[in-house]
Amino acid sequence: MKFAIALFSPPHAPSSRRALRFAEAVLAGGHEINRLFFYRDGVYNAADSIVTPQDESDLPAQWRAFVERHALDAVVCVAAALRRGVLDSREAQRYGRVAVVPTPPWELSGLGQLHEAAQSADRLVCFGGD
Amino acid sequence: MTKSMLIVSRHAPWGGLSAREALDIALAGGAFELPVGLLFLDDGVFQLLPGQRPAAVEQKDLAANLQALPLFGVEDLYVCRQSLRLRGLDGQPLALSATPLEGPELADLFDRYDLVITL
Amino acid sequence: MTTLHLLSRSPFGTPLDSTLRLLGVRDGLLLCGDACHALQPGSAPLQLLEHLPDSVALHALAEDLEARNLMAPERVRVVDYPGFVELCTRYDKVNGWL
Repeated sequence: MKFAIALFSPPHAPSSRRALRFAEAVLAGGHEINRLFFYRDGVYNAADSIVTPQDESDLPAQWRAFVERHALDAVVCVAAALRRGVLDSREAQRYGRVAVVPTPPWELSGLGQLHEAAQSADRLVCFGGD
Repeated sequence: MTKSMLIVSRHAPWGGLSAREALDIALAGGAFELPVGLLFLDDGVFQLLPGQRPAAVEQKDLAANLQALPLFGVEDLYVCRQSLRLRGLDGQPLALSATPLEGPELADLFDRYDLVITL
Repeated sequence: MTTLHLLSRSPFGTPLDSTLRLLGVRDGLLLCGDACHALQPGSAPLQLLEHLPDSVALHALAEDLEARNLMAPERVRVVDYPGFVELCTRYDKVNGWL
C-alpha cells in the first residue's frame, strides 16, 4: 500500500517520534511512502539548526537520516515554514535572512503537495497533538 | 478517481494558528478543484461567531478567508449542533451559512468522505 | 467507509465524548500517547469506552502503555508499530485527532 504521512507537531512532541517509528514500520512492512509532508509546527522537524541535548534522541537528525536512506519525497509547507523561521537558501535570499534551514533533501513547497500526495496514496495518516 | 476530503476544524480562531491553517488546507484543496468539505467542531464553531474584531489583538480577520470558501469551490460547510449548543450558540445567527449536523448525521458525514484531516 | 481514529491527547484535558460522538459503528480507535490514560481503571473515560458498541474495535499502542505502567483491559487489543500499520490498511481511512 502507498502511504502519505503528514506531520503537524514539533520534534519535542511525542507524536513526531511516533510518526517516524510508524513511517519506519510502513517501509519495513513492504509498503511505500509516496510523500512526507510537514505542516504547522511539524516544519521544525526539518530544521537542521535544532540542537538536542546529547542524552536525548535527536529527532530532526533521525528524520533526515530516514529520508536520505530511503530517498523519500520530503516536503515542508512553505507558508507554515516561513512564519516559523524555517527558510531554505532560496527563501532566505528572497527575504534577506541569514539563517538557512532546511537543506536538501527537504524541499519547501505549497499545500498542493499535501493534496497531491493524499490523492495518489492509498492511506493518508496525519500525526500531531501530543 | 478523485478523492473527497473532509477537514475538521476544532479550534477557536484567535488562540493560535489552528483555525487559519485548517482553512488554508481547505482553500488549497478548493484551488485544485478537489471535493473538499469543512466541519466546524468543538471550539471551531467560534470561528462562525459574527461581529468579532481580531484587530483588537492584532490578528488578521479570518472572515475574508471564510467568505472566500465558496469562491474556491468549497461549498460543503457543516457545523456540529451539539458544539453550538454547549457554547450557547444554537439558534444564533452565524457569520457563514453551514449545515448543522447532529448525532448520527456526524458519523454519516465522516462516512461519506474518502479522506479526513482534523486540526 | 470505516475510519481508524487515532487519539493521542489526554482524555482529561480534551473531553473524549466529542470524538466518540463521531464514531461509526464499524470504526476503530487507537489510543496512543497520553490518550492511553483513558484506560486508567475507575476513570470516567474508561467508562465511556466500555459503553461503546462491541462493533467498535479498541486498540492501544504497546510502548505508550508500558511507559505509563498501564494495563489494557480485555476488550483493548495492544499493538506495536507493525500492528499499527496493519490497522491502517484494514480501515478505509485514518483520522488523527490532534
